[in-house]
Amino acid sequence: MNKLLVLKDVYVRGCNQHRLKSINLSVNYGETIAILGKSGAGKTSLICVLNGTLHPDSGTATWTDQDIKALTSRQRKEIGTLWQDLRLVEELNVEQNINSGALGSHGFFWAVRNLLGLIDSNSSAKCLNAVGLSDVYLNRPIKKLSGGQKQRVAIARLIMQNPRILLADEPLSNLDPILATDMLAFILGRSKNGLFQYHQQQTSIVTLHRPDLISEFNRVVGLKDGQIIFDSIPSRISSSEISFLYT
Amino acid sequence: MNSNRIIHLLSWFCLFYALSIVNPLFASEILTIGAIPDQKPEKLNRLYNLLALELSSTLNVPVRYIPVTNYPAAVTAFRTKGIDLVWFGGLTGVQARLQTPGAIVLAQRDIDKTFRSVFIANTKSGIEVVSSQSDLLNLKGKRFTFGSESSTSGRLMPQHFLQQTGITMKDFKGGRAGFSGSHDATIALVQSGSYDVGALNEQVWLDNVKRGRVNGDKVVRIWRTPTYVDYHWLAQPGLDQRFGRGFTNKLKKSLLALSYNSPRHKQILDLFGARKFIPADKQQYNDIEKIGRQLGKIR
Amino acid sequence: MRRYTLSPVLFCFLPALSLIPVLYCVIRDIHGGGLYLLRDFFLAAFQPSLEVSVLNSALKGLQITISIALVSWLVSMFFGIIFALLSSKIFWNPYSINDWRANFFKRILVLPRSIHELIWGLILLQFFGLSPFVAILAISIPFTSIIARVLSEQFDTLDSRDLIALRHTGASSFTAFLTALLPDILPIINSYGGYRLECALRGATLLGVFGLGGIGTEMQLTLQSLEFKEFWTSLWILGLVVISLERFLIWTQKDTSNHSHLKKRLFVNILLISIPFIAGFIWLDVFDYNRYSTLHFSLVHLPNLSDIRIAFYTIPILEHLVSTLALTLLAAGIAIGIAPLALITWPTRLGSLLQGFLWAFFRLVPSPLLLLLLLLCTSPTVFVAALALGLNNLGVMGRLLQERLSQQNKECYWALLSSGAGLRTAWLYGAFCPQSKSYLAYAGYRTDVILRETASVGVVGGIGFGWQLQESLSSFAWAEVLLVVAVYSVLTLIGEMVSENLSSNWIKSNTITLQNNPKEVNFSS
Repeated sequence: MNKLLVLKDVYVRGCNQHRLKSINLSVNYGETIAILGKSGAGKTSLICVLNGTLHPDSGTATWTDQDIKALTSRQRKEIGTLWQDLRLVEELNVEQNINSGALGSHGFFWAVRNLLGLIDSNSSAKCLNAVGLSDVYLNRPIKKLSGGQKQRVAIARLIMQNPRILLADEPLSNLDPILATDMLAFILGRSKNGLFQYHQQQTSIVTLHRPDLISEFNRVVGLKDGQIIFDSIPSRISSSEISFLYT
Repeated sequence: MNSNRIIHLLSWFCLFYALSIVNPLFASEILTIGAIPDQKPEKLNRLYNLLALELSSTLNVPVRYIPVTNYPAAVTAFRTKGIDLVWFGGLTGVQARLQTPGAIVLAQRDIDKTFRSVFIANTKSGIEVVSSQSDLLNLKGKRFTFGSESSTSGRLMPQHFLQQTGITMKDFKGGRAGFSGSHDATIALVQSGSYDVGALNEQVWLDNVKRGRVNGDKVVRIWRTPTYVDYHWLAQPGLDQRFGRGFTNKLKKSLLALSYNSPRHKQILDLFGARKFIPADKQQYNDIEKIGRQLGKIR
Repeated sequence: MRRYTLSPVLFCFLPALSLIPVLYCVIRDIHGGGLYLLRDFFLAAFQPSLEVSVLNSALKGLQITISIALVSWLVSMFFGIIFALLSSKIFWNPYSINDWRANFFKRILVLPRSIHELIWGLILLQFFGLSPFVAILAISIPFTSIIARVLSEQFDTLDSRDLIALRHTGASSFTAFLTALLPDILPIINSYGGYRLECALRGATLLGVFGLGGIGTEMQLTLQSLEFKEFWTSLWILGLVVISLERFLIWTQKDTSNHSHLKKRLFVNILLISIPFIAGFIWLDVFDYNRYSTLHFSLVHLPNLSDIRIAFYTIPILEHLVSTLALTLLAAGIAIGIAPLALITWPTRLGSLLQGFLWAFFRLVPSPLLLLLLLLCTSPTVFVAALALGLNNLGVMGRLLQERLSQQNKECYWALLSSGAGLRTAWLYGAFCPQSKSYLAYAGYRTDVILRETASVGVVGGIGFGWQLQESLSSFAWAEVLLVVAVYSVLTLIGEMVSENLSSNWIKSNTITLQNNPKEVNFSS
């Protein structure tokens, strides 16, 4: 069985209309999928359904053949998400945030010890170094970081989480070109020489605003008004199909 | 919200408001009476209007009953002329007379001339019946509670008898005595065991026993105090000027005329736990004043 | 070497430690006899008395309480806003950082609020006798000062650039002030005023417990006579009103923040003011409190210096001081620590719903009555009094926390949950962490409030200044009263300073959120 995530006939209701309609999607191990669509097409909703924070109103979402709703915390830990708004805990420092990626494999008291700063900082330092930030930042509060630094901390937290699949919601928007390249390399699991000294064969699903990067992925899904318009390899997608997405 | 409806409501409010302003302007001099029920105040307060009605019909003046639940407040209300006729306890009556010179003691109940307090104890506390006053010394080191701070039967006289025996408040457990707030609460707190011993109005105790609200397995009476004078009706000076010559006297007579034979009067007398009211004089309360001064409740 | 980073999150839980000595002592003293009474009490909740006379007097009491609350709220809002303007520097002079006139008013206002409304009530009672106006005055005096302080602090954080610009066009200072800042001020007044109305209702109920009439009196009398079914009649009725008031106030705030339309806000404000105005006075009239004849001022015999010196030696001031402080700290610990502790132990939806009910019960029953209830089954100590006072304030803290948590966005919480964190951990990191600083800041204010409120349980428990005051008042010993009030108010002033310094640390790091959202510091004191 190679199928990691499977969505079957998923509907999600919104205020006036469906946010997602009749979504069928299966994600295999090792695939890198780009999800295209203009804003409001349902990209973020799709990511939320995939990581279990949004339950479909009808249809099923399964992770390795189990309903996503019923996953244990260890299984949920295998799905990592890079949120568009990062979702770092602003009140905590960098180290505590990085460690919070590992909450799925530790108990409640480990979490409390983390708040007390009693967790050994070796592993969090490694994750931080992997995203190109030095140990000095470990004790910084998140509030004092720049936007780019925050994004790196979010990635360090993901590295700490060490998921089997990576979901990323608009990870490239608001990034300067160099960082964007490195980020893409990280997401696609090829960042041997880039900024992020971290490498792993990745399965990843990335929502994108810009269609120019689709050649980097091995599968592209087009979303429009909550429905999948196309789902195939990049070379088979015509520019008219892409422009239809944005009308 | 519908603004029409709001305007509609507002105009009703205004109408009521206007009416209610006009109303008091036509009112004549009102006799206000007040009482502090020594038990079941939540019920009795609802019934005292009976007395107001009765007085109103015999005296031919409008009478209003004002519920009072707090002793010092009643004293102050009397001093500030807020209430014309008050049913005071022994101590509060003396306090009120000292603050309102010329106030007149009108009447007391038949039982007030020889009133008593009782000491009650939780059976688990192991305190034995007190046969002579000196046995009160056994209460040292126990948790003890009075009723309300200004109560004559629930605090002043019990404290007086304790001190006579040689017990000060510091001798009780915790270095002080508690104040349950009311006679009923004293029974409840001693019966439940929060306090080992408590002191309260004998009449309230007997009434609770009669109504079956006392569990004899849990709480017993250990001592009856010697007698003293307690509750009385106190009237403002100068009622005659306000309501006509001889009014104070008429008031006194109406109180004394309440008879247990008339069903309507009986209802009123039952409220006070009395068979009848009898004349009283301020001289009777000299001892209370002396004790009040000794214990610092009268300065 | 590792550095301990004690994050504010854990600080919020630490106060719960005071529960250990309190529970130890309370449970040690618990006795079976009282447990039956307590069981009866809670069973009575499901069968409140529906007798007509009981219902009538509960309803009448409720109306008196509401009218007292409404009128005193109105009075204190009116004067509070005026004094808030007078004591904010932006009103006198938008250019300078300090203005002596503003400081002058600020200093003056310190005194009225150092004395709790209950103590004002007990003292004013001595001058005016029984009258609803005593309750109204007693609530209005400290409330005016508290409102003035909070609002003036808020006004001074407003952006003064518009105001300066208008002043340059030659507008007079007052009109410039109104035009430039009214749109900013109104929402502040709106939300804070709503909170104050709740406080006024609680205050009026508490004053009732001490004999000033209304539903508080009803509750006190029925509880003291152990008529639990009748007690619950009053409590259910009061609960219904208070909860719907709370809901209504949340609704008005939501409504106005969506459309930040000045006109609408003005309309809501006028509505909020005129209804209580008319309703409050009508009720006072209907209930036969003849407002033309009841207020008789009567001066008492004023004490001279030697009386006060004697009082100084007869009152065990040090003892009262120690017990008042112990009471405050223990109660504050319970009030602050338990709310988050309860939520983290039971973070599910059902759990927080049940907690909401429990907090409402604690909030609705005035602390002296909670104490009386506890005393039915345990022995009187400082710890029981602290528990009663603490639980009463826990009702406020618990509700505040739940309300804040429900208002904040839950994105971090969901993110952590989806990354594998457990329910409790996700709640701790994602929901409570973002709240912790403002919660702590508020806890500082609450401690200050608790110090002032110790008077209310002291009276029943025979503890501290509250009891001494009641005792001195019932003996009409004015020298002692004067001394106790003076010492007590000095104590609360010191308390206010300490708690302000403590919480300003947390607030400072939160200044940005404070300016964006005036609700953040709304609830101070």
